[in-house]
Amino acid sequence: MIELVQSIYRYRELIWALAAKELKVRYKRSVLGFLWALLNPALMMVVLTVVFSTILRFPIHHYAIFLLSVLLPWTFFSQSLSYAVESIVSNGDLIKKVSVPKLVFPVAAVVSNVVNLLLSLIPLAVLVVLMRHPFHWTWLYLPVPIVALVIFTLGVSLWFAAANVYYRDIAHIIQILLSAWFYFTPIIYALDFIPANLRWLFKLNPIIYVINGFRLSVYYGMLPRWSSIVASFICALTALLIGFWFFRKHQDDFVFYV
Amino acid sequence: MFFMSKPLTMRNSAAVRVEHVTQRFRVIHERPDSMRELFTNLFRKTVEYHEFEAVNDLSLEVPPGQVLGLIGRNGSGKSTLLKIIAGVYKPTSGSVHVAGKLAPLIELGAGFHHELTGRENILLNGLLMGYSRQEMQERTQRIIEFADIGEFIDAPIKQYSSGMHTRLAFAVATEVDPDILIIDEILSVGDIAFQQKCFDRIETFRRAGKTILFVSHAMRQIVEHCDRVVMLEKGSIVVDGDPQEVTEVYSNLLTPVLAPVQ
Repeated sequence: MIELVQSIYRYRELIWALAAKELKVRYKRSVLGFLWALLNPALMMVVLTVVFSTILRFPIHHYAIFLLSVLLPWTFFSQSLSYAVESIVSNGDLIKKVSVPKLVFPVAAVVSNVVNLLLSLIPLAVLVVLMRHPFHWTWLYLPVPIVALVIFTLGVSLWFAAANVYYRDIAHIIQILLSAWFYFTPIIYALDFIPANLRWLFKLNPIIYVINGFRLSVYYGMLPRWSSIVASFICALTALLIGFWFFRKHQDDFVFYV
Repeated sequence: MFFMSKPLTMRNSAAVRVEHVTQRFRVIHERPDSMRELFTNLFRKTVEYHEFEAVNDLSLEVPPGQVLGLIGRNGSGKSTLLKIIAGVYKPTSGSVHVAGKLAPLIELGAGFHHELTGRENILLNGLLMGYSRQEMQERTQRIIEFADIGEFIDAPIKQYSSGMHTRLAFAVATEVDPDILIIDEILSVGDIAFQQKCFDRIETFRRAGKTILFVSHAMRQIVEHCDRVVMLEKGSIVVDGDPQEVTEVYSNLLTPVLAPVQ
Protein backbone atom coordinates (compact mmCIF):
# COMPACT_ATOMS: atom_id res chain seq x y z
CA MET A 1 0.00 0.00 0.00
CA ILE A 2 2.87 2.31 0.83
CA GLU A 3 4.33 1.25 -2.47
CA LEU A 4 1.20 2.44 -4.25
CA VAL A 5 1.33 5.86 -2.61
CA GLN A 6 5.03 6.11 -3.38
CA SER A 7 4.65 5.29 -7.03
CA ILE A 8 1.72 7.65 -7.43
CA TYR A 9 3.82 10.37 -5.86
CA ARG A 10 6.85 9.50 -7.96
CA TYR A 11 4.91 9.62 -11.20
CA ARG A 12 2.66 12.50 -10.19
CA GLU A 13 3.83 14.70 -13.04
CA LEU A 14 3.24 12.00 -15.60
CA ILE A 15 -0.16 11.13 -14.13
CA TRP A 16 -1.15 14.75 -14.16
CA ALA A 17 0.06 15.22 -17.73
CA LEU A 18 -1.91 12.17 -18.86
CA ALA A 19 -5.02 13.35 -17.04
CA ALA A 20 -4.62 16.81 -18.56
CA LYS A 21 -4.21 15.20 -21.97
CA GLU A 22 -7.41 13.25 -21.39
CA LEU A 23 -9.31 16.44 -20.57
CA LYS A 24 -7.69 18.42 -23.36
CA VAL A 25 -8.48 15.80 -25.96
CA ARG A 26 -12.03 15.48 -24.70
CA TYR A 27 -12.76 19.16 -25.13
CA LYS A 28 -10.51 19.91 -28.05
CA ARG A 29 -12.15 21.19 -31.20
CA SER A 30 -15.32 22.16 -29.39
CA VAL A 31 -16.08 25.85 -29.46
CA LEU A 32 -16.69 26.13 -25.74
CA GLY A 33 -13.77 23.91 -24.87
CA PHE A 34 -13.19 23.33 -21.22
CA LEU A 35 -16.42 25.14 -20.33
CA TRP A 36 -18.19 21.90 -21.20
CA ALA A 37 -16.87 20.41 -18.01
CA LEU A 38 -19.10 22.93 -16.24
CA LEU A 39 -21.89 23.11 -18.78
CA ASN A 40 -22.42 19.40 -19.02
CA PRO A 41 -23.51 18.84 -15.43
CA ALA A 42 -25.30 22.20 -15.43
CA LEU A 43 -27.42 21.30 -18.43
CA MET A 44 -28.08 17.84 -17.05
CA MET A 45 -29.28 19.52 -13.88
CA VAL A 46 -31.62 21.77 -15.80
CA VAL A 47 -33.17 18.75 -17.51
CA LEU A 48 -33.51 16.80 -14.29
CA THR A 49 -34.92 19.76 -12.42
CA VAL A 50 -37.52 20.41 -15.08
CA VAL A 51 -38.50 16.76 -15.29
CA PHE A 52 -38.76 16.20 -11.58
CA SER A 53 -40.45 19.44 -10.63
CA THR A 54 -43.11 19.38 -13.35
CA ILE A 55 -43.63 15.95 -14.87
CA LEU A 56 -42.51 13.40 -12.31
CA ARG A 57 -43.37 14.76 -8.93
CA PHE A 58 -41.83 12.72 -6.16
CA PRO A 59 -42.96 13.29 -2.60
CA ILE A 60 -39.44 14.52 -1.85
CA HIS A 61 -38.80 18.18 -1.32
CA HIS A 62 -36.35 19.63 -3.88
CA TYR A 63 -35.95 16.26 -5.46
CA ALA A 64 -33.42 17.54 -8.01
CA ILE A 65 -30.97 18.35 -5.24
CA PHE A 66 -31.78 15.14 -3.45
CA LEU A 67 -30.91 13.27 -6.64
CA LEU A 68 -27.94 15.30 -7.83
CA SER A 69 -26.18 15.23 -4.48
CA VAL A 70 -25.48 11.55 -5.12
CA LEU A 71 -25.81 11.39 -8.88
CA LEU A 72 -22.71 13.54 -9.35
CA PRO A 73 -20.46 11.28 -7.27
CA TRP A 74 -22.01 8.28 -8.98
CA THR A 75 -21.29 9.77 -12.39
CA PHE A 76 -17.71 10.26 -11.29
CA PHE A 77 -17.51 6.62 -10.24
CA SER A 78 -19.03 5.20 -13.39
CA GLN A 79 -17.14 7.52 -15.76
CA SER A 80 -13.82 6.82 -14.09
CA LEU A 81 -14.44 3.12 -14.28
CA SER A 82 -15.45 3.24 -17.94
CA TYR A 83 -12.31 5.19 -18.78
CA ALA A 84 -9.97 3.19 -16.59
CA VAL A 85 -11.14 -0.22 -17.72
CA GLU A 86 -9.85 0.47 -21.23
CA SER A 87 -6.81 2.44 -20.12
CA ILE A 88 -4.24 -0.37 -20.28
CA VAL A 89 -5.52 -1.87 -23.50
CA SER A 90 -5.83 1.45 -25.30
CA ASN A 91 -2.28 2.37 -24.32
CA GLY A 92 -1.08 -1.03 -25.47
CA ASP A 93 1.08 0.37 -28.23
CA LEU A 94 2.90 2.50 -25.75
CA ILE A 95 3.31 -0.29 -23.21
CA LYS A 96 4.83 -2.48 -25.92
CA LYS A 97 7.42 0.11 -26.83
CA VAL A 98 8.37 2.10 -23.78
CA SER A 99 9.16 1.00 -20.28
CA VAL A 100 6.49 2.89 -18.42
CA PRO A 101 4.78 2.22 -15.09
CA LYS A 102 1.44 0.69 -16.09
CA LEU A 103 -0.21 2.10 -13.01
CA VAL A 104 -0.22 5.63 -14.37
CA PHE A 105 -2.92 4.92 -16.96
CA PRO A 106 -5.83 3.90 -14.73
CA VAL A 107 -4.76 6.46 -12.12
CA ALA A 108 -4.75 9.22 -14.73
CA ALA A 109 -8.21 8.13 -15.89
CA VAL A 110 -9.52 8.53 -12.36
CA VAL A 111 -7.69 11.82 -11.80
CA SER A 112 -9.13 13.39 -14.94
CA ASN A 113 -12.59 12.55 -13.66
CA VAL A 114 -11.84 13.97 -10.23
CA VAL A 115 -11.40 17.30 -12.00
CA ASN A 116 -14.82 16.87 -13.56
CA LEU A 117 -16.39 15.92 -10.24
CA LEU A 118 -15.00 18.97 -8.50
CA LEU A 119 -16.12 21.24 -11.33
CA SER A 120 -19.61 19.74 -11.28
CA LEU A 121 -20.02 20.80 -7.66
CA ILE A 122 -20.05 24.42 -8.81
CA PRO A 123 -23.31 24.19 -10.80
CA LEU A 124 -24.75 22.10 -7.97
CA ALA A 125 -24.05 24.92 -5.54
CA VAL A 126 -25.65 27.36 -7.95
CA LEU A 127 -28.70 25.15 -8.19
CA VAL A 128 -28.97 24.93 -4.41
CA VAL A 129 -29.04 28.71 -4.25
CA LEU A 130 -31.48 29.09 -7.14
CA MET A 131 -33.93 26.59 -5.68
CA ARG A 132 -33.66 28.33 -2.31
CA HIS A 133 -32.58 25.10 -0.71
CA PRO A 134 -30.69 25.83 2.51
CA PHE A 135 -26.98 26.00 1.85
CA HIS A 136 -25.75 23.86 4.70
CA TRP A 137 -22.43 24.33 6.46
CA THR A 138 -21.99 20.57 6.07
CA TRP A 139 -20.78 21.21 2.51
CA LEU A 140 -17.47 21.69 4.27
CA TYR A 141 -17.56 18.01 5.13
CA LEU A 142 -17.57 17.02 1.42
CA PRO A 143 -13.78 16.50 1.13
CA VAL A 144 -14.14 13.44 3.40
CA PRO A 145 -16.56 11.47 1.20
CA ILE A 146 -14.69 12.69 -1.89
CA VAL A 147 -11.46 11.19 -0.61
CA ALA A 148 -13.19 7.92 0.28
CA LEU A 149 -14.90 7.81 -3.10
CA VAL A 150 -11.68 8.43 -5.00
CA ILE A 151 -9.91 5.66 -3.09
CA PHE A 152 -12.78 3.28 -3.72
CA THR A 153 -12.96 4.19 -7.41
CA LEU A 154 -9.22 3.77 -7.81
CA GLY A 155 -9.31 0.29 -6.33
CA VAL A 156 -12.20 -0.88 -8.49
CA SER A 157 -10.61 0.74 -11.56
CA LEU A 158 -7.26 -0.98 -11.04
CA TRP A 159 -8.93 -4.35 -10.76
CA PHE A 160 -11.05 -3.97 -13.87
CA ALA A 161 -8.28 -2.37 -15.92
CA ALA A 162 -6.05 -5.36 -15.22
CA ALA A 163 -8.80 -7.91 -15.82
CA ASN A 164 -9.73 -6.29 -19.12
CA VAL A 165 -6.24 -6.98 -20.45
CA TYR A 166 -6.95 -10.69 -20.31
CA TYR A 167 -10.64 -10.70 -21.18
CA ARG A 168 -11.87 -7.84 -23.30
CA ASP A 169 -15.43 -8.81 -22.42
CA ILE A 170 -14.90 -7.02 -19.12
CA ALA A 171 -15.30 -3.64 -20.82
CA HIS A 172 -18.76 -4.67 -22.04
CA ILE A 173 -19.79 -6.39 -18.84
CA ILE A 174 -18.89 -3.34 -16.84
CA GLN A 175 -21.56 -1.22 -18.53
CA ILE A 176 -24.27 -3.67 -17.57
CA LEU A 177 -22.80 -4.10 -14.13
CA LEU A 178 -22.79 -0.34 -13.66
CA SER A 179 -26.40 0.11 -14.64
CA ALA A 180 -27.51 -2.72 -12.34
CA TRP A 181 -25.39 -1.28 -9.58
CA PHE A 182 -26.94 2.13 -10.19
CA TYR A 183 -30.48 0.85 -9.58
CA PHE A 184 -29.51 -1.18 -6.54
CA THR A 185 -27.91 1.83 -4.93
CA PRO A 186 -30.13 4.44 -3.27
CA ILE A 187 -29.51 7.17 -5.83
CA ILE A 188 -32.87 7.93 -7.39
CA TYR A 189 -34.58 6.81 -4.20
CA ALA A 190 -33.80 6.87 -0.49
CA LEU A 191 -32.88 3.83 1.52
CA ASP A 192 -36.11 4.35 3.51
CA PHE A 193 -38.09 3.27 0.45
CA ILE A 194 -36.72 -0.23 0.81
CA PRO A 195 -38.76 -2.57 3.00
CA ALA A 196 -37.07 -2.90 6.37
CA ASN A 197 -36.53 -6.63 6.02
CA LEU A 198 -34.53 -6.14 2.82
CA ARG A 199 -32.40 -3.25 3.97
CA TRP A 200 -29.58 -5.44 5.24
CA LEU A 201 -29.10 -6.59 1.66
CA PHE A 202 -28.55 -3.02 0.51
CA LYS A 203 -26.10 -2.44 3.29
CA LEU A 204 -23.79 -4.99 1.70
CA ASN A 205 -23.35 -2.57 -1.19
CA PRO A 206 -19.86 -1.14 -0.60
CA ILE A 207 -20.55 2.21 -2.26
CA ILE A 208 -23.65 3.03 -0.22
CA TYR A 209 -21.75 4.46 2.77
CA VAL A 210 -19.75 6.97 0.83
CA ILE A 211 -22.77 7.94 -1.29
CA ASN A 212 -24.68 8.48 1.92
CA GLY A 213 -22.10 11.02 3.06
CA PHE A 214 -22.71 13.16 -0.01
CA ARG A 215 -26.48 13.18 0.36
CA LEU A 216 -26.46 13.86 4.08
CA SER A 217 -24.14 16.81 3.84
CA VAL A 218 -25.54 18.46 0.72
CA TYR A 219 -29.26 17.71 0.99
CA TYR A 220 -30.03 17.13 4.65
CA GLY A 221 -27.33 19.31 6.19
CA MET A 222 -26.28 16.51 8.49
CA LEU A 223 -23.10 14.58 9.09
CA PRO A 224 -23.08 10.81 8.79
CA ARG A 225 -22.69 8.68 11.88
CA TRP A 226 -19.16 7.68 12.81
CA SER A 227 -19.90 4.07 12.04
CA SER A 228 -20.96 5.04 8.53
CA ILE A 229 -17.81 7.10 7.93
CA VAL A 230 -15.62 4.27 9.15
CA ALA A 231 -17.55 1.80 6.98
CA SER A 232 -17.03 4.01 3.92
CA PHE A 233 -13.27 4.06 4.45
CA ILE A 234 -13.09 0.34 5.19
CA CYS A 235 -14.87 -0.35 1.90
CA ALA A 236 -12.64 2.11 0.04
CA LEU A 237 -9.37 0.78 1.42
CA THR A 238 -10.41 -2.83 0.91
CA ALA A 239 -11.24 -2.08 -2.71
CA LEU A 240 -7.88 -0.37 -3.16
CA LEU A 241 -5.96 -3.21 -1.53
CA ILE A 242 -7.60 -5.87 -3.67
CA GLY A 243 -7.39 -3.79 -6.82
CA PHE A 244 -3.76 -2.84 -6.36
CA TRP A 245 -2.73 -6.36 -5.34
CA PHE A 246 -4.35 -7.80 -8.44
CA PHE A 247 -2.93 -5.11 -10.71
CA ARG A 248 0.58 -5.45 -9.34
CA LYS A 249 0.52 -9.21 -9.62
CA HIS A 250 -0.21 -9.03 -13.33
CA GLN A 251 1.32 -5.78 -14.52
CA ASP A 252 4.52 -7.32 -15.90
CA ASP A 253 2.43 -9.61 -18.08
CA PHE A 254 0.30 -6.90 -19.65
CA VAL A 255 2.84 -6.29 -22.38
CA PHE A 256 2.31 -9.81 -23.72
CA TYR A 257 -1.45 -9.49 -23.92
CA VAL A 258 -2.21 -5.96 -25.08
CA MET B 1 31.60 14.17 -16.41
CA PHE B 2 29.99 10.85 -17.21
CA PHE B 3 31.99 9.04 -14.57
CA MET B 4 31.59 11.78 -12.06
CA SER B 5 27.85 11.60 -12.11
CA LYS B 6 27.77 7.82 -11.96
CA PRO B 7 30.13 6.63 -9.25
CA LEU B 8 28.44 3.25 -9.12
CA THR B 9 29.37 2.39 -12.66
CA MET B 10 33.02 2.58 -11.75
CA ARG B 11 32.75 -0.25 -9.31
CA ASN B 12 30.29 -2.17 -11.38
CA SER B 13 32.11 -1.51 -14.59
CA ALA B 14 29.51 -2.43 -17.22
CA ALA B 15 27.02 0.11 -18.54
CA VAL B 16 24.71 -2.70 -19.54
CA ARG B 17 24.99 -6.18 -18.12
CA VAL B 18 22.73 -8.97 -19.31
CA GLU B 19 23.06 -12.21 -17.38
CA HIS B 20 21.64 -15.50 -18.61
CA VAL B 21 18.53 -13.89 -19.95
CA THR B 22 15.84 -16.02 -21.50
CA GLN B 23 12.66 -14.63 -22.95
CA ARG B 24 10.12 -17.28 -23.63
CA PHE B 25 7.07 -16.43 -25.66
CA ARG B 26 4.01 -18.55 -25.69
CA VAL B 27 2.39 -18.57 -29.06
CA ILE B 28 -1.18 -19.64 -28.50
CA HIS B 29 -2.62 -20.91 -31.70
CA GLU B 30 -6.10 -19.98 -30.71
CA ARG B 31 -5.87 -17.62 -27.85
CA PRO B 32 -9.08 -17.23 -25.91
CA ASP B 33 -9.56 -13.58 -26.66
CA SER B 34 -12.99 -13.46 -25.17
CA MET B 35 -14.83 -15.33 -22.51
CA ARG B 36 -16.86 -17.19 -25.09
CA GLU B 37 -13.69 -18.71 -26.42
CA LEU B 38 -12.50 -19.35 -22.91
CA PHE B 39 -15.65 -21.29 -22.17
CA THR B 40 -15.50 -23.32 -25.35
CA ASN B 41 -11.88 -24.02 -24.59
CA LEU B 42 -12.84 -25.17 -21.13
CA PHE B 43 -14.91 -27.87 -22.71
CA ARG B 44 -12.12 -28.78 -25.05
CA LYS B 45 -9.82 -28.70 -22.03
CA THR B 46 -6.80 -27.80 -24.08
CA VAL B 47 -5.35 -24.57 -25.23
CA GLU B 48 -2.99 -25.24 -28.06
CA TYR B 49 0.21 -23.34 -27.98
CA HIS B 50 3.87 -23.69 -28.58
CA GLU B 51 6.66 -21.95 -26.80
CA PHE B 52 9.78 -20.52 -28.23
CA GLU B 53 12.72 -18.67 -26.81
CA ALA B 54 13.17 -15.36 -28.56
CA VAL B 55 16.25 -14.85 -26.43
CA ASN B 56 17.93 -17.94 -25.09
CA ASP B 57 20.24 -17.86 -22.07
CA LEU B 58 22.04 -14.83 -23.37
CA SER B 59 24.76 -12.99 -21.49
CA LEU B 60 26.29 -9.76 -22.63
CA GLU B 61 28.34 -7.03 -21.06
CA VAL B 62 28.72 -3.60 -22.58
CA PRO B 63 31.36 -1.36 -21.01
CA PRO B 64 30.60 2.35 -20.71
CA GLY B 65 31.40 4.31 -23.82
CA GLN B 66 31.18 1.40 -26.20
CA VAL B 67 29.14 1.53 -29.39
CA LEU B 68 27.81 -1.95 -29.82
CA GLY B 69 26.20 -3.11 -33.04
CA LEU B 70 23.65 -5.91 -33.03
CA ILE B 71 23.10 -7.78 -36.24
CA GLY B 72 21.25 -10.91 -37.22
CA ARG B 73 18.45 -12.13 -39.40
CA ASN B 74 14.82 -11.24 -38.86
CA GLY B 75 13.55 -13.07 -35.81
CA SER B 76 17.01 -13.63 -34.37
CA GLY B 77 16.06 -11.81 -31.19
CA LYS B 78 17.68 -8.40 -31.64
CA SER B 79 14.61 -6.33 -30.95
CA THR B 80 13.49 -8.56 -28.11
CA LEU B 81 16.89 -8.18 -26.49
CA LEU B 82 16.72 -4.40 -26.82
CA LYS B 83 13.24 -4.37 -25.34
CA ILE B 84 14.43 -6.42 -22.39
CA ILE B 85 17.31 -4.02 -21.82
CA ALA B 86 14.93 -1.07 -22.15
CA GLY B 87 12.67 -2.64 -19.53
CA VAL B 88 9.68 -3.15 -21.79
CA TYR B 89 9.76 -6.91 -21.28
CA LYS B 90 10.47 -8.54 -18.00
CA PRO B 91 12.57 -11.56 -18.98
CA THR B 92 11.34 -15.06 -18.20
CA SER B 93 14.62 -15.70 -16.39
CA GLY B 94 17.94 -14.00 -15.92
CA SER B 95 18.72 -10.44 -14.99
CA VAL B 96 19.53 -7.12 -16.58
CA HIS B 97 21.48 -4.27 -15.01
CA VAL B 98 21.58 -0.88 -16.60
CA ALA B 99 23.83 1.80 -15.11
CA GLY B 100 22.54 5.25 -15.92
CA LYS B 101 19.73 6.87 -17.77
CA LEU B 102 18.58 4.98 -20.81
CA ALA B 103 16.93 6.45 -23.87
CA PRO B 104 15.28 3.88 -26.09
CA LEU B 105 14.86 4.86 -29.71
CA ILE B 106 13.01 1.66 -30.39
CA GLU B 107 9.95 2.97 -32.00
CA LEU B 108 10.07 6.68 -32.26
CA GLY B 109 7.15 8.67 -31.06
CA ALA B 110 5.41 5.76 -29.39
CA GLY B 111 4.01 8.06 -26.75
CA PHE B 112 2.83 10.75 -29.11
CA HIS B 113 -0.79 11.62 -29.03
CA HIS B 114 -2.04 12.78 -32.38
CA GLU B 115 -4.51 15.36 -31.04
CA LEU B 116 -1.87 17.21 -29.05
CA THR B 117 0.53 19.71 -30.53
CA GLY B 118 4.21 18.99 -31.04
CA ARG B 119 5.05 21.16 -28.06
CA GLU B 120 2.57 19.38 -25.79
CA ASN B 121 3.86 16.03 -26.99
CA ILE B 122 7.43 16.95 -26.14
CA LEU B 123 6.45 17.32 -22.52
CA LEU B 124 4.27 14.21 -22.42
CA ASN B 125 6.88 12.10 -24.16
CA GLY B 126 9.62 13.28 -21.84
CA LEU B 127 7.51 12.46 -18.80
CA LEU B 128 6.79 9.02 -20.22
CA MET B 129 10.51 8.44 -20.57
CA GLY B 130 10.93 9.28 -16.92
CA TYR B 131 12.15 12.85 -17.02
CA SER B 132 10.71 15.55 -14.83
CA ARG B 133 8.59 18.43 -16.03
CA GLN B 134 11.34 20.87 -15.14
CA GLU B 135 13.98 18.94 -17.06
CA MET B 136 11.73 18.89 -20.07
CA GLN B 137 10.91 22.57 -19.89
CA GLU B 138 14.59 23.41 -19.87
CA ARG B 139 15.12 21.33 -22.98
CA THR B 140 12.04 22.13 -24.99
CA GLN B 141 13.68 24.97 -26.89
CA ARG B 142 16.66 22.86 -27.94
CA ILE B 143 14.39 20.00 -28.95
CA ILE B 144 12.38 22.34 -31.15
CA GLU B 145 15.54 23.67 -32.73
CA PHE B 146 16.89 20.24 -33.48
CA ALA B 147 13.61 18.93 -34.87
CA ASP B 148 13.49 21.99 -37.11
CA ILE B 149 9.89 21.65 -38.21
CA GLY B 150 9.06 25.33 -38.11
CA GLU B 151 5.59 26.46 -37.15
CA PHE B 152 4.27 22.93 -37.13
CA ILE B 153 5.50 22.66 -33.57
CA ASP B 154 2.23 24.23 -32.42
CA ALA B 155 0.01 22.16 -34.68
CA PRO B 156 -1.53 18.86 -33.62
CA ILE B 157 0.83 16.13 -34.74
CA LYS B 158 -1.82 14.33 -36.72
CA GLN B 159 -1.07 16.97 -39.35
CA TYR B 160 2.61 16.05 -39.47
CA SER B 161 4.25 14.19 -42.29
CA SER B 162 5.95 10.99 -41.20
CA GLY B 163 9.31 12.68 -41.63
CA MET B 164 8.34 15.51 -39.30
CA HIS B 165 7.05 12.98 -36.85
CA THR B 166 10.40 11.20 -36.84
CA ARG B 167 12.35 14.42 -36.53
CA LEU B 168 10.45 15.47 -33.47
CA ALA B 169 10.63 12.03 -31.90
CA PHE B 170 14.36 11.73 -32.48
CA ALA B 171 14.88 15.19 -31.07
CA VAL B 172 12.93 14.40 -27.91
CA ALA B 173 14.66 11.08 -27.39
CA THR B 174 18.19 12.37 -27.79
CA GLU B 175 18.04 15.91 -26.42
CA VAL B 176 17.38 14.56 -22.94
CA ASP B 177 21.01 13.64 -22.32
CA PRO B 178 20.85 9.89 -21.75
CA ASP B 179 23.83 7.79 -20.63
CA ILE B 180 22.80 4.87 -22.78
CA LEU B 181 21.16 5.14 -26.15
CA ILE B 182 19.33 2.25 -27.76
CA ILE B 183 18.73 2.57 -31.48
CA ASP B 184 16.62 0.03 -33.32
CA GLU B 185 16.57 0.53 -37.09
CA ILE B 186 14.94 3.87 -36.85
CA LEU B 187 17.31 5.90 -38.90
CA SER B 188 16.00 4.73 -42.24
CA VAL B 189 13.30 7.39 -42.13
CA GLY B 190 13.70 11.10 -42.66
CA ASP B 191 15.51 12.76 -45.53
CA ILE B 192 19.22 12.48 -46.10
CA ALA B 193 20.00 15.79 -44.42
CA PHE B 194 18.18 14.71 -41.30
CA GLN B 195 19.77 11.26 -41.33
CA GLN B 196 23.14 12.95 -41.46
CA LYS B 197 22.10 15.13 -38.54
CA CYS B 198 21.14 12.02 -36.59
CA PHE B 199 24.45 10.33 -37.28
CA ASP B 200 26.28 13.48 -36.29
CA ARG B 201 24.41 13.39 -33.05
CA ILE B 202 25.27 9.75 -32.50
CA GLU B 203 28.91 10.63 -33.09
CA THR B 204 28.61 13.41 -30.54
CA PHE B 205 27.24 10.94 -28.05
CA ARG B 206 30.04 8.56 -28.85
CA ARG B 207 32.67 11.21 -28.29
CA ALA B 208 30.99 12.18 -25.04
CA GLY B 209 31.62 8.63 -23.86
CA LYS B 210 28.02 7.44 -23.93
CA THR B 211 27.12 3.84 -24.43
CA ILE B 212 25.17 3.06 -27.58
CA LEU B 213 23.39 -0.12 -28.60
CA PHE B 214 22.67 -0.07 -32.26
CA VAL B 215 20.59 -2.41 -34.42
CA SER B 216 20.77 -2.03 -38.15
CA HIS B 217 20.61 -4.07 -41.31
CA ALA B 218 22.84 -1.57 -43.07
CA MET B 219 26.29 -3.11 -42.68
CA ARG B 220 27.96 0.08 -43.83
CA GLN B 221 26.44 1.99 -40.90
CA ILE B 222 27.46 -0.79 -38.52
CA VAL B 223 31.09 -0.82 -39.64
CA GLU B 224 31.25 2.94 -39.66
CA HIS B 225 29.87 3.59 -36.20
CA CYS B 226 30.46 0.54 -34.00
CA ASP B 227 33.37 -0.46 -31.81
CA ARG B 228 32.15 -4.00 -31.46
CA VAL B 229 29.52 -6.11 -33.15
CA VAL B 230 27.50 -9.02 -31.86
CA MET B 231 25.66 -11.33 -34.18
CA LEU B 232 22.54 -13.07 -32.94
CA GLU B 233 21.00 -16.24 -34.26
CA LYS B 234 17.97 -17.94 -32.70
CA GLY B 235 18.22 -15.83 -29.59
CA SER B 236 21.87 -16.54 -28.84
CA ILE B 237 25.12 -14.77 -29.56
CA VAL B 238 26.99 -16.65 -32.27
CA VAL B 239 29.77 -14.20 -33.10
CA ASP B 240 31.12 -11.35 -31.03
CA GLY B 241 33.98 -9.14 -32.02
CA ASP B 242 35.45 -6.71 -34.50
CA PRO B 243 32.84 -4.95 -36.70
CA GLN B 244 34.62 -5.77 -39.96
CA GLU B 245 34.95 -9.46 -39.19
CA VAL B 246 31.51 -10.02 -37.75
CA THR B 247 29.74 -8.25 -40.59
CA GLU B 248 31.70 -10.45 -43.02
CA VAL B 249 30.55 -13.59 -41.23
CA TYR B 250 27.03 -12.27 -41.43
CA SER B 251 27.28 -11.49 -45.14
CA ASN B 252 28.67 -14.97 -45.81
CA LEU B 253 25.85 -16.48 -43.84
CA LEU B 254 23.33 -14.70 -45.98
CA THR B 255 25.03 -15.41 -49.31
CA PRO B 256 23.82 -19.02 -49.75
CA VAL B 257 20.30 -17.79 -49.21
CA LEU B 258 20.76 -15.11 -51.81
CA ALA B 259 22.40 -17.38 -54.39
CA PRO B 260 20.96 -20.86 -54.02
CA VAL B 261 21.38 -21.85 -57.67
CA GLN B 262 24.82 -23.14 -58.63
